[in-house]
Amino acid sequence: MEIDHSQPLEYSTEQNRLNILGFWIFLGAEIMLFATLFASYFTLVDRTGNGPTGAEIFEITPVLAETFLLLTSSFVIGLGIHAMRLGNKKAMLTFFVITLLLGLGFLGFEITEFITYYHEGATLQTSAFTSMLFTTLGTHGAHVTLGLFWGFFIILQVKKRGLTPETANKSFIFSLYWHFLDIVWIFIFTFIYMKGMT
Amino acid sequence: MKELFPAKQVWGFVFSLILTFVALLVYFFNMSKATGMTIFILTAFIQAAVQLVVFMHARETDDSKSIFMTLYCAIFLALITVFGTILCMVWGWSY
Repeated sequence: MEIDHSQPLEYSTEQNRLNILGFWIFLGAEIMLFATLFASYFTLVDRTGNGPTGAEIFEITPVLAETFLLLTSSFVIGLGIHAMRLGNKKAMLTFFVITLLLGLGFLGFEITEFITYYHEGATLQTSAFTSMLFTTLGTHGAHVTLGLFWGFFIILQVKKRGLTPETANKSFIFSLYWHFLDIVWIFIFTFIYMKGMT
Repeated sequence: MKELFPAKQVWGFVFSLILTFVALLVYFFNMSKATGMTIFILTAFIQAAVQLVVFMHARETDDSKSIFMTLYCAIFLALITVFGTILCMVWGWSY
């Protein structure tokens, strides 16, 4: 295996470069997944039947908290990758841990939000609108949940093996995934919550 | 400590917060539907671009061209899917 020292560690081998490009192609497919969810949501948003509308159940405070937590976590994991490029393993792991804690906080707010909706009579079966709302938010939430486990194992591996071309590559790819989840959230925040509340 | 907080990323974060705040203005002030929607589309897509370029380092590698081709392709298909669906299912078409 040839290691190119002029490149950051995560790009230093041919395999690493291809792994990263491959992950971008996967993200392209993820964009399409969320596009179909958004398309269905926009189609069904007014089909509320006897159930509540978005304006009736959405609350600004938890939504803002979720947005702030995820946005900050995306920034912090960026700092983690920067620290990784400096070769500072300790700072990198600290940033990664903070990232996951912020992600966990996000998930806590989202689960509380779902429970509140449930008690307000908005469940998966209430109307076409609530079905699509929970499916879209849930798909994003499931991605975040998966990311928490993935990130946790990345931290363990970096701790155990140190910063090698392989672990750096895995960490960088995880950071791409995490940033992507923030991008999806920006669209959920804007076109589901903000649009629904105005 | 300072070297751990690169200016580019800190500004990217601040800029993202500002864009979120701008989107919030639509919520707090009464605006026409068209104005609100324009602000939403602008803030969301600019913020997505900030993430891609500042945080995801999409422009920094030799594979940059392939990455952006993949992205443009995916975004193109996503927009066709979303707006095509809205056109068929919501807006309708009258001759």
